[in-house]
Amino acid sequence: MSDPALGILMLTLIVVVIMLGFPTAFTLMGLGMMFGFIAYYDPSQAWTQNKVFDLITERTYGAMNNESLISIPLFVLMGYVMERGALVDKMFYSIQLAFRGVPASLAVATLIVCTFWGIASGLVGAVVVLMGVIAFNPMLKAGYDVKLASGVITAGGTLGILIPPSVMIIVYAAVAGQSVVKLYASAMFPGFFLSLLYLVYIVGWALINPKIAPKSEAKIPVPDWVHRFQQAYSRNMLIGLAKSLVSPAKASTIEIAGTPIRYPTLVGNFVAALFPLVLCAVTLWGIWWYVVIHPLADVPPSAPVPAAASGQSAPAAAGPAEPAADSAAEEKPQELGGTASEAAPQSATKEGDGLQEMGDPELAKQIASAPADAGPPPEFFTYFWIIVGLTALMLLWYYAKMGAEQFELLKLLTSSVMPLGILTFVVLAVILFGITTATESAAIGAAGAFLMGFQAKTLDWERVKQSVFLTAKTTAMVCWLFVGSALFSGVFAILGGQQLVEHWVLSFNLTPVQFMILSQAIIFVLGWPLEWTEIIVIFVPIFLPLLKHFNIDPILWGTLVFVNLQAAFLSPPVAMSAFYLKGVSPPHVTLNQIFAGMMPYMLVVILCMVIMYVWPGMTLWLPNYLYGGG
Amino acid sequence: MDTHRLLNVVDRISTWAGKASAWLIMALMIVVCVEVFKRYLLNAPTAYIYDVNNMLYGTLFMMCGAYALAQNAHVRGDFLYSSMKPRTQATLDLVLYLAFFIPGILGLMYAGWDYAADSWRIREHSNVTSDGPPVYQFKAIIPLAGTLVMLQGIAEIVRCVMCLKTGDWPERLKDAEEIDVVEQQLAKSEYVDQESRERAIAHVQEIDDAARQRGMGGDAKL
Repeated sequence: MSDPALGILMLTLIVVVIMLGFPTAFTLMGLGMMFGFIAYYDPSQAWTQNKVFDLITERTYGAMNNESLISIPLFVLMGYVMERGALVDKMFYSIQLAFRGVPASLAVATLIVCTFWGIASGLVGAVVVLMGVIAFNPMLKAGYDVKLASGVITAGGTLGILIPPSVMIIVYAAVAGQSVVKLYASAMFPGFFLSLLYLVYIVGWALINPKIAPKSEAKIPVPDWVHRFQQAYSRNMLIGLAKSLVSPAKASTIEIAGTPIRYPTLVGNFVAALFPLVLCAVTLWGIWWYVVIHPLADVPPSAPVPAAASGQSAPAAAGPAEPAADSAAEEKPQELGGTASEAAPQSATKEGDGLQEMGDPELAKQIASAPADAGPPPEFFTYFWIIVGLTALMLLWYYAKMGAEQFELLKLLTSSVMPLGILTFVVLAVILFGITTATESAAIGAAGAFLMGFQAKTLDWERVKQSVFLTAKTTAMVCWLFVGSALFSGVFAILGGQQLVEHWVLSFNLTPVQFMILSQAIIFVLGWPLEWTEIIVIFVPIFLPLLKHFNIDPILWGTLVFVNLQAAFLSPPVAMSAFYLKGVSPPHVTLNQIFAGMMPYMLVVILCMVIMYVWPGMTLWLPNYLYGGG
Repeated sequence: MDTHRLLNVVDRISTWAGKASAWLIMALMIVVCVEVFKRYLLNAPTAYIYDVNNMLYGTLFMMCGAYALAQNAHVRGDFLYSSMKPRTQATLDLVLYLAFFIPGILGLMYAGWDYAADSWRIREHSNVTSDGPPVYQFKAIIPLAGTLVMLQGIAEIVRCVMCLKTGDWPERLKDAEEIDVVEQQLAKSEYVDQESRERAIAHVQEIDDAARQRGMGGDAKL
């Protein structure tokens, strides 16, 4: 049997054995060892000297020293700790109250919680089960359409594997030899764009047909003392709290659960009321720091003091750049929506010539080179001050009508959403703006998740232990798979199987578009029976060398694969999330209803892929802007 | 009953080694955080940090291989597998353990032993930086982890044989699972009514199993 034929036999065997359900890591290792032994067989040598033994140690030691893979256990740990430390039910409750004016508010809140959780963890099953209990039954009770309710949970639950920091992206980076940071940057827009498309779909559907999602009648519970506090001081809580700090006498006559209000309580409430202001200020300062101060610190390398000083403010300042925009959007979606989405990109992009040209990677490169070379361009200052002005107006308007309900809502949001939101955005922003490496920000994120959990008093020793052990198991699973596939692909290449596949594919004379569609279609079908780990580690490497023949950017292709797997995991009748949801839903909900609810979201994902392909700038703009040409 | 005891001992060895190494993740987290502090705030990066990080991470995942095997946590294409009868599963597993697992891991042990012995003989040091830390002890992890995985693999083969005899899989040690988070999140929830909470917590394991079978009769059970 010729070598390439052996290679094809090896590939066929791996597919068959995976389907039979044997642990994939060991299948890869065993096949690699056997076929490698045959490939290297040299009758003049003792069989113990076979070169396959060098190959396996080299590949194993390579995986043990792989810089991309180090961040996996850290991000996994962060995810597990966050999952155990965050209060999902409280988060859903407060977000749902914040959005009570929006059509289909419960569905919108579900999607937002799922997106947040997607940032924190990548586990489909647990998210769907939890959201099924927390959100699905309330939605059904409120008279929501079963299809709408089930679709939003299953689609939202699978978002986690796409939205950074996801382990899938790190594994792809390691397999494809790409930078983790660049892939994160490129998955950023599609991930949030996809949840935006979902959101548009839900709200749009609810507007066209209001019957499927009755308006929310939820009331914000206002404790008694707040009412009396308002009578004593002012209807406006901010003014009232400020007054009470000056003259606390009247406040001490009011009781909270039997004890009179003390001064520290007043201060605490006042600080809580100022939270949006602080958040906006820190965000704007972060933008200012990143654009104006940070580049200056980098220019003179002989000045270690300012460099160190700016490093100090890095995690604190640049981080919340997005969370503020985000939290603002949660509080006042309609009014702030515009500025919130503009705030982050605008300040950075408008230095170029305009948003239209962002689509073109060539122009993006030119734009990218601008800020690095010579400080911020003059337009930046104009736009920056316009944004500052708009933010100030918005805050003024927000505080002017801050009644008891608004105040209580703010306190709810601050305690449930803020810690998780700030932490994840700090982690992402620190990586994306190139302040630290992926490993470093993963470690900071994990440490932050512990702090958050201890602060919220949700973490105990038992849960810490569980998170550590789960992290160990998941890491071992992914990395042993990586060891196996490193050996397997090495042997596959030596046998010439890779060339054979390449020749075979090239003989079809496909155009790049055809190849793109074909490769994505194959991955889509593989996504039905297999998990993402197997697809990324075993099958993606077969396509990777072909990409350069067709001039396809591996970053764009990889991002399309990530989105593609979303669609695969939402396709009936194999989607696991539907079965998880079925498990917790009331008996009258049938599996077919859940599948029917998922279908539109699958189409939305495919629409998203088409947009990504037609307009690659959406994916590639951010990595190119941040790290220069791709 | 003796085989059960034997299985239990092997499971315990793998689990203990895995859990002990699992704590390296905390060390890795702290080391990296301290390094971030040193590099960005004190402007004093550590030269050998790269090697230290790799050693912590490499030891962590290699030593947990047997633990993951003992807990059946290695990813497997369970699309068809999970809908088979235990006896069919055990037959398939037995054949595949003998055909793929044993040669693969034996190769790893043998090659790793040579590799580590060579490194140990010359007292090899890392060449990432000049005057790098020693790496021979790190390379010795390869044969050590290989041996642990092999031991656990033999235990798995014994499991298959026992399952073929009795028609049921022997039990594994109880351990933390991903789906446990549902119980932790819901147990004290103030916003979810008690009935649905208790229902979900009670059935979460069944739900997980059924979802993994994806329609292969999974619907009928719920």
